[in-house]
Amino acid sequence: MTPRPVFFRKLSNHLLNLLALGSICAALGGMGWILCTVIQKGAPVLSWEFLTAPSKPYGEPGAGVGNALLGTLLMTLGATLLAVPPALAGGIYLAEFGKNSRLADLLRFCANVLMGLPSILVGLFVYAMLVVTTGHFSGMAGTVALAIIMFPVIMRTTEDMLLMVPDALRESALALGMSRMRATLCIVARSARNGLATGILLSLARVSGETAPLLFTALFADTWPGGFFTEPTASAPVLITEYTTNSPFESMHAMGWGTALIMAAFILIINIATRCIFHENKH
Amino acid sequence: MHKRDTIFCAICKAGAFVSLLLMVGIFAQLLIHSADAWKHFGISFLWGVDWDPAMDIYGALPSILGTLFSTVLSLALAIPLAFAVALLITESPEWLKRPLSQCVDLLAAIPSVIYGMWGLFVLVPLMQDYVQPFLADTLGIIHLPGGAWLLGEDGVGSGFGFLTAGVILALMILPYMSAVMRDVFRMTPPVLRESAYGLGCTRLETTRDIVLRYGIRGIIGGIFIGMGRALGETMAVLFVIGNMMECPAGLFSCGSTIATTLANNFAEATGLQQSALFALGLVLLLMSFSIQLITRYYLALTSTRRGENA
Amino acid sequence: MKTNIKISTRNLNFHYGKHQALFDNNLDIHANKITAVIGPSGCGKSTHLRIYNRIFELYRNQKATGEVLLDGKNILDSDVDLLKLRHRVGMIFQKPTPFPMSIADNVAYPLKLHYKLSRSEMDDRVEAALRGASLWDEVKDKLKSSGMALSGGQQQRLCIARALAAEPEVILMDEPTSAIAPVATLRIEELVLELKQKYTIVIVTHNMQQASRISDRTAFFYKGRIVEVDDTTRIFTNPAHKQTEDYITGRFG
Repeated sequence: MTPRPVFFRKLSNHLLNLLALGSICAALGGMGWILCTVIQKGAPVLSWEFLTAPSKPYGEPGAGVGNALLGTLLMTLGATLLAVPPALAGGIYLAEFGKNSRLADLLRFCANVLMGLPSILVGLFVYAMLVVTTGHFSGMAGTVALAIIMFPVIMRTTEDMLLMVPDALRESALALGMSRMRATLCIVARSARNGLATGILLSLARVSGETAPLLFTALFADTWPGGFFTEPTASAPVLITEYTTNSPFESMHAMGWGTALIMAAFILIINIATRCIFHENKH
Repeated sequence: MHKRDTIFCAICKAGAFVSLLLMVGIFAQLLIHSADAWKHFGISFLWGVDWDPAMDIYGALPSILGTLFSTVLSLALAIPLAFAVALLITESPEWLKRPLSQCVDLLAAIPSVIYGMWGLFVLVPLMQDYVQPFLADTLGIIHLPGGAWLLGEDGVGSGFGFLTAGVILALMILPYMSAVMRDVFRMTPPVLRESAYGLGCTRLETTRDIVLRYGIRGIIGGIFIGMGRALGETMAVLFVIGNMMECPAGLFSCGSTIATTLANNFAEATGLQQSALFALGLVLLLMSFSIQLITRYYLALTSTRRGENA
Repeated sequence: MKTNIKISTRNLNFHYGKHQALFDNNLDIHANKITAVIGPSGCGKSTHLRIYNRIFELYRNQKATGEVLLDGKNILDSDVDLLKLRHRVGMIFQKPTPFPMSIADNVAYPLKLHYKLSRSEMDDRVEAALRGASLWDEVKDKLKSSGMALSGGQQQRLCIARALAAEPEVILMDEPTSAIAPVATLRIEELVLELKQKYTIVIVTHNMQQASRISDRTAFFYKGRIVEVDDTTRIFTNPAHKQTEDYITGRFG
């Protein structure tokens, strides 16, 4: 028998190690690079006026991005209010009642498809449903689009979190004579509340940066959010898109970077804070 | 059951049904609004190469091919990256594991529009000045047989194009894929790994022959997730792909994907063009839907073959 | 009769982080003999075994000091080639660990790692290893089916066949029958007895009947120290230490 030389086996092993190290450097380096660029280019334009004044066409003095920030805030919160109740209910159904029935499998599959759905298609759908029928681009249409993106994520997270609650807890609650509703809401959901809160906050952070579904629903406007149901509403991500792709002016690019910085900071803070706080509680 | 419980169950069921309603609704709306286009062009819409609003002629092929090409490119870049990242995280010491994996997760939290912006202002000039000349001339790919075909644009890139889009997409889908792979690696029983090392395997051999085989389902599931993301990503691609309604002609060539075509044209489109855009949306929906179906079918298939219950 | 010493540990200490698990172990493993390592759980017997092929190094914060001489060469030296060491010293684990591949591929796997073999040579050696583990007759018709579909006892014999295929010199067994049904356990014990013709075997067990049935020599561990090492018959009939006697008569453990 001829033994295989060990040299090549070790060499390829070292190559793998190098590749792994290189990859993580590429991934984290890429992220660091993006964040640094955002900070470096965005920080100089930050000012009180930038945050509070509404956006204006190029050249007018005293322009800011306040309306876009407020619009994003309103639409994100609105979407959360709209999506969370049915999503929680749906998650409870999948975990507590539907379990492995055919119906629950079908609904779960639908939720998975929705989760993987390109967000721009949600924009098309809402355009067809709300913009065509009402005749207006509106903040509400944007809100609904964001809610549709949030819904399946929260529903599946809810299910996963409830499934992690041990059955013994359910049984002991029911054995005390509690109704199914009380047992679920007061005992099961309560013991899963950290997970639920994490899920909701993370998906809130995610949709606040969504752009594609707003492009033909909320559109954009240089005004403060006014007629929520009838008028186009500004949002931070769409502002970035407008200012960087459709404008040749340095000053508008800079405002885009400034907005990007605020958004990135907001989203990263929510992400990091949720992970830290709820991780601590778990142990 | 309690009467109150019956109502509670019904409410919950209604909530869950929203998912079905939304899915059916999206299908129906895209079908209804794209009806004109299908009537006008028939199924040949799918392989029409022209997109000319002036003549009112629309064909989907450039967008479809562009979508597939950018997806394949990003996967080719991201799969080895995600694999290696997941491997390094699972094998790193405890105190480093959490921070590392959380940092990678944060990559997924950055909004795509910021990726796009960064791509436009940082990556595009970089590709134009350094990467593309390096690939074409320094490595001499342009002089190899088929090199010009592979790179396109005669090897002189503008910085925009599919390669740039692929790089950005790869960075974006990496965290999703590596998160799934990480779970797979973690689920491999330690004693199985020990026993491979006990036979005298190197880390590469243990990973390739044992861990990878053991978790192949999860790995493929992760790849599908990444694929679904790359397929439908709009903003990050929109900024860097060049937005030409032409079929991809190499790594450096500009083009468009279904999602970017929608984003670029939809707001001003009316009549037949709008209907054609809805038809494109339907095609994208079917692509993303079939990925879900295949994943599900594949997982069901392999789990029965391996006699698992879970 | 001259005894041939295969492995000899000298002043072996072992730490899990700050916690010391083994204290000055001195133990000679005789060639072509079965050495049983017994002791109450947590006494360090598995830890001791896992030093012989340095598998403990997969985990951080674990450290062995002292000497483990395999044919006179200290395997704890940094210049020792781990791949070659593990080729020479095979290991069987508590739970069967068939790889997620076919029965034949499981056995062929270490061969492919360490040798260049032709197709027919490979088949011959797979058969030989399976025969060596007295599994051949049960699986010869389903070599292509998954190794994970076998019963627990068969899986463990498959793992033994896999370890045999690479032709190691020493086979370490870490409670190989603790997760196996009693009948299957007896078959594995018979197998181990046959194997000692060709291999040096060290077996960790918590089952004292097993140790007395199959081993030639027995080492009794207690709280990380080796209390007593001697011929098995001697240990079980006339132990020198009170602790050993208490343990084998079931007074603690």
